[in-house]
Amino acid sequence: MLSRLLAATQISIAAALVAVVVALVLGVVGGLLAGYYGGWFDSVSSWLTGLVMALPGIVVLLAARAVLGPSVWLSMAIFGVLMSPAFFRLVYASVTAVRNELYVDAARVSGLRDGRIISRHILSVVRAPVIIQSAMITGIAIAIQSGLEFLGLGDLSVPTWGSMLSDGFAKIYNAPLLMLWPSLAIGLTCISLTLLANALRDALERTVSTRRRRREGKVNGAPAERTAVVGHQDDARAATGEVLLSVRDLHVGYDQPDGSLTQVVHGIDLDIRRGEVHGLIGESGSGKTQTAFSVLGLLPSGGRVTRGTIDFGGIQLAGAGEGVFRKVRGKRIAYVPQEPMSNLDSAFTIGSQLVEPMQVVLGLSKKEATERALALLARVGLPDPKKTFASYPHEISGGQAQRVLIAGAVSCDPELLIADEPTTALDVTVQAEVLDLLRDLQAEFGMAMLLVTHNFGVVADLCDRVSVMQSGLIVETGPVRSIFNHAEHPYTQSLLDAILEDGEPRGTLGSRKEVSA
Amino acid sequence: MLSFIVRRLLSGAVLLFVITTVAYALLYVGGGDIARRILGQNATQEAVAAKAAELGLDRPLWEQYGGWLSQAVTGDLGRSWFSGQLVSVGVSSRLAVTLSIVIGAVLIAAVIAVVLGVLAAVRGGVVDRIVQFISVLGFAIPGFLIALGLVLVFAINLRLFKATGYVPITTDVGGWIASVTLPVIALAIGAIASVTQQVRGSVVDALSRDYVRTLRSRGLGSGRVVYKHVLRNAGGPALAILAVQFVGLLGGAVIVEQIFALPGLGQLAVQSTTNGDIPIVMGLVLATAFIVVIVNLLIDLAQAALNPKVRLS
Amino acid sequence: MFRWKATAAAVAVSALALTGCAGPGGGGTGGSGSTTLTLGAITSPTTFDPAGSEWGNRAPFYQAVFDTLLLATPEGTIEPFLATDWSYNDDNTVLTLTIRDDVTFSDDTELNADVVAQNLLRFKDGTSPDAGYFDGVQSVEAPDATTVVITLGAPDPAFLNYLTRDPGLVASPASFDSPDIATDPIGSGPYILDTAATVTGTSYSYTKNPDYWNPDVQHYDNLVINVLADATASLNAIKAGEANGVKLANNDNLGEVEGAGWTVNANELDFQGLLLLDRSGTVEPALADVRVRQALNYAFDREGLLQALQAGNGTVTTQVFPETSEAFDPELDDYYTYDPEKAKELLAEAGYADGLVLQQPSSALLGANTYTLIEQQLNDVGIQVEYTDPGNNFIADLLAPKFPTSFMALEQNPDWQLIQFMIAPGAVFNPYKAEDPVIDQLMTDIQFGDEATQAEKAKELNRYLVEQAWFAPFYRVQGSFATDANTTVEVLPTNAFPAIYDFQPKG
Repeated sequence: MLSRLLAATQISIAAALVAVVVALVLGVVGGLLAGYYGGWFDSVSSWLTGLVMALPGIVVLLAARAVLGPSVWLSMAIFGVLMSPAFFRLVYASVTAVRNELYVDAARVSGLRDGRIISRHILSVVRAPVIIQSAMITGIAIAIQSGLEFLGLGDLSVPTWGSMLSDGFAKIYNAPLLMLWPSLAIGLTCISLTLLANALRDALERTVSTRRRRREGKVNGAPAERTAVVGHQDDARAATGEVLLSVRDLHVGYDQPDGSLTQVVHGIDLDIRRGEVHGLIGESGSGKTQTAFSVLGLLPSGGRVTRGTIDFGGIQLAGAGEGVFRKVRGKRIAYVPQEPMSNLDSAFTIGSQLVEPMQVVLGLSKKEATERALALLARVGLPDPKKTFASYPHEISGGQAQRVLIAGAVSCDPELLIADEPTTALDVTVQAEVLDLLRDLQAEFGMAMLLVTHNFGVVADLCDRVSVMQSGLIVETGPVRSIFNHAEHPYTQSLLDAILEDGEPRGTLGSRKEVSA
Repeated sequence: MLSFIVRRLLSGAVLLFVITTVAYALLYVGGGDIARRILGQNATQEAVAAKAAELGLDRPLWEQYGGWLSQAVTGDLGRSWFSGQLVSVGVSSRLAVTLSIVIGAVLIAAVIAVVLGVLAAVRGGVVDRIVQFISVLGFAIPGFLIALGLVLVFAINLRLFKATGYVPITTDVGGWIASVTLPVIALAIGAIASVTQQVRGSVVDALSRDYVRTLRSRGLGSGRVVYKHVLRNAGGPALAILAVQFVGLLGGAVIVEQIFALPGLGQLAVQSTTNGDIPIVMGLVLATAFIVVIVNLLIDLAQAALNPKVRLS
Repeated sequence: MFRWKATAAAVAVSALALTGCAGPGGGGTGGSGSTTLTLGAITSPTTFDPAGSEWGNRAPFYQAVFDTLLLATPEGTIEPFLATDWSYNDDNTVLTLTIRDDVTFSDDTELNADVVAQNLLRFKDGTSPDAGYFDGVQSVEAPDATTVVITLGAPDPAFLNYLTRDPGLVASPASFDSPDIATDPIGSGPYILDTAATVTGTSYSYTKNPDYWNPDVQHYDNLVINVLADATASLNAIKAGEANGVKLANNDNLGEVEGAGWTVNANELDFQGLLLLDRSGTVEPALADVRVRQALNYAFDREGLLQALQAGNGTVTTQVFPETSEAFDPELDDYYTYDPEKAKELLAEAGYADGLVLQQPSSALLGANTYTLIEQQLNDVGIQVEYTDPGNNFIADLLAPKFPTSFMALEQNPDWQLIQFMIAPGAVFNPYKAEDPVIDQLMTDIQFGDEATQAEKAKELNRYLVEQAWFAPFYRVQGSFATDANTTVEVLPTNAFPAIYDFQPKG
């Protein structure tokens, strides 16, 4: 029994692997080529995929068995062909999505060969789902083997789990154990395959993210001892209103799968007064976006405020529950994101995405909210508010989308607007217009504004006060003019020098990494 | 939109043509001695030869296929070589059985998988782990065992449902329910396992989207964001995977059909393909391919309705 | 609110399920006075056209709607049915039948001799696998309304038996040209097929024929025959009480069947063993040597095989004639004992001391275990086996012929039929057309002899075949038919499925 089970194990798994390998080779290669190069190969292979999927698999398997003989290897190879669309679709979809992404373009422009682009940028995207899918298909292939045996269409020449299972099934009532062992073997294999696939995926994703983090780690890894913050005296231009947001000793950390905690903000103080525009400047990974998300209570999963306080007009936001934040978000603190397109839900019209929060937060009727949304769209400078209102996000440009997002942010009349790199993703020509709009709205609504940026040009344009962040710490803070004129911290100075060297400050370089920061 | 549908139907017609050609060729090559199988082991070799000539089995492939095709386009699919039954009647009666259990299973799987998948993705932590465990288990337990367990408990011990056979819904609704319930559950469990994983994946993916954070920053509760925005965005991939399950189950229900002695498509496919009952197999191929074309079209339309960014081209 | 709705839905579903559960089963004695017999068969009829009909496991489907000319009884005798009387001429080549005059078909057409003659001729020219039974029929005539005269080219001792089976089925002449004859049979039988409730290939529903001429054999108001192809599905149907009688595909679960309160009714119809088809040595010269064939017979541990493959349900044998046959000789059940040494000696004498390689077909349908055991036992005496799986073409390849030997189960028909099936030079299962003057002479004696001669010569033939080792039978396998506590049946010694007429409600 045991020896048969062991022999069957080898054959069953090897045969299932045949299916997976065939499916992988056909599906992944086909998907990569079709997705990356497009053209006739795309049309032909997509059509073939449709053909394979529409063929009744069982008929093909049986007919092929009649032609080629009852070999488990051949059956599994055919099954692999039948399963290849699963991989093809997966890879094809990922590749077409990635093909036109900026970084692939950039790689192409920088002269990387196609092969290298595919292996570096594209395979890494599809790797995880392909692994999961492979585990599933291995499981299904084993199930198909036993199914064929059950139907009396198996391969007598080799022992498989399937043949043991169907033998057992025939004697289920007088010798149930016969069925138990192959069932256990199949079950355990499927479970371990799934777990293995999940672990493998997690490991791959983790190496990506730790690599990324390590890259950033140079900046923020070791919490350098908190040196004194270089403070500048307020000058005439700085507002002197009541403090609206007061952050003290803020620490932000991320829970790691191994139970440890990686800290990304190491204790910062920050005050924003009513009506003030406060710039938070620093390189990618310096912790500025993390600080902004802590105030909104919208840190990505695993992230949390580990120490310190966030006082917002008397409300304690550090460690506050969802209920507290819900009263604050939208109505009192609003948010303008960096990437306009991805921050609109492509499944809903722009209008409905504006109206819904106003109904919920302000309790407006649908009609009132619609009127207000149209007025706001006009206010942010969209030429045809009605048309924009009825449009879907993919029907408008990036600049228009950012205006829509700004309209959404101010729609509930907030006291504090947090703008996270609001112009970085936009064309240079549009950047200035959007900054103008933000400045006008800030004045009009009398909002305070926390402007997160890496661009001193933007700071100079808009801000009253500025805090410079490096490696999760604020190193220098003070009125804009004072900082510009008398930067003391070497890091601030190097940032300023960088603008001077480059001439006009430039928005896009190096900023994309921050999407995930 | 309309032109999209027309174009898809046209390409579907081409697909049907190619599929029937491929299938006929496969059957022709793999047919073996069909006449012998029709007549059985007692028949003389002369009788077998005569039968082969009567069915035109001695003619070349293109002539046989041409004959079949010219009749098929007029809607005449012929009669089974083995039972003499009209192919249209045979296939449609089987289709009713298989569709009964497959649609039932896919619907149940859809509801349960969406609930479990969303729960796992949104709650995370322990809930996620439990759901993952359940779905891995559902995936890992061989379908035989599930079906047999159901029969033992619900048909043999409790006598709530039927262990074998099928009652047409037109004959007796109660009997129909008694006959399809266990097969539907047996099929659904496997489907739930894989669809749950997919739903969880696409909800996790949708949850990590920037617009979710932005919507929440506007003061919308996370529940509202999940049920309105995340579900709608995760719906597309989930529908696609349900369609794949549906198509797979059309033929893949054969084991469940066998265990419950249901006269389904899968059983017919196995019988007629092993026998070489070409008219029946061709009818089957035509029917399933047609269903696949229609299901894919419907899914694409639904995807477009869910997400206007998916253009119909 | 939500929860309440869910509960209501659950209640509704289970209520529906409960009403449904009154439907299935139909335990033989319905409360409302109408009785239903539900049977489980292994395979479905391919067509209802009598000219394409078969018997064996498909018999009940035909027997319910059509009457046969003669009737085979559980006692092994042949009795009148549609034909009330029959007689042969002196040289046994002209058979005269007297046909009942009080029978109408379910379409109200009347039965007469002419209709019978038309049916017989249709069968002769039809597509039935058994059409060859009528190869010897030279003419069929109906001189008057109740007399049919069949003229044979040569005596056929099995002919009366044929008329109790598929060749003897009689259909209404109005249905001959109907395009639906394959699916909508019109006969004079005890039941009428309810085509609306029937799912071809799976479930066949019949209702009682109100005008049946022989109400004594109508024991039920309704008859349902379900096809349960899978052995475990059959067992589930038995355990769930969804049938009254089920033909079991194998003997693996007899204990479970009896444990469920059912009765196993047994007969022995088939023998299983190794067919030594190429006994004339056409492709495998070794088999032409009687010592090699005998060695093959000594090589098998028949008792061990019976235990391993049939859980002991059957009887070991070395002869191909059944216990019911006049040719049967109990001594021939253990003519060859399990003696590997003797087998090796015989092989050595024949010049195969260094072994022998036999080509054999295998089929997943017959189970891997069988082939493993056969191979092991043959290996023990120095014979190697090379298996090929011809898939769907198992029978076709066997008869092509492509294999000198093969494991197989063959039906043990009445003597003359059996001879025509596996022994005569033209027999289907003598594909290499092996001939032997002794056998030819014995066959002639049987064909033209009177009953006493037939019995004596058949016995001689049987012994000669065993001594000459034309076959290497292992055992007669028990055929099992299970009936529930409310149903009785008497099995036929000559058919796999009991006659429809022999099912009765108990008590």
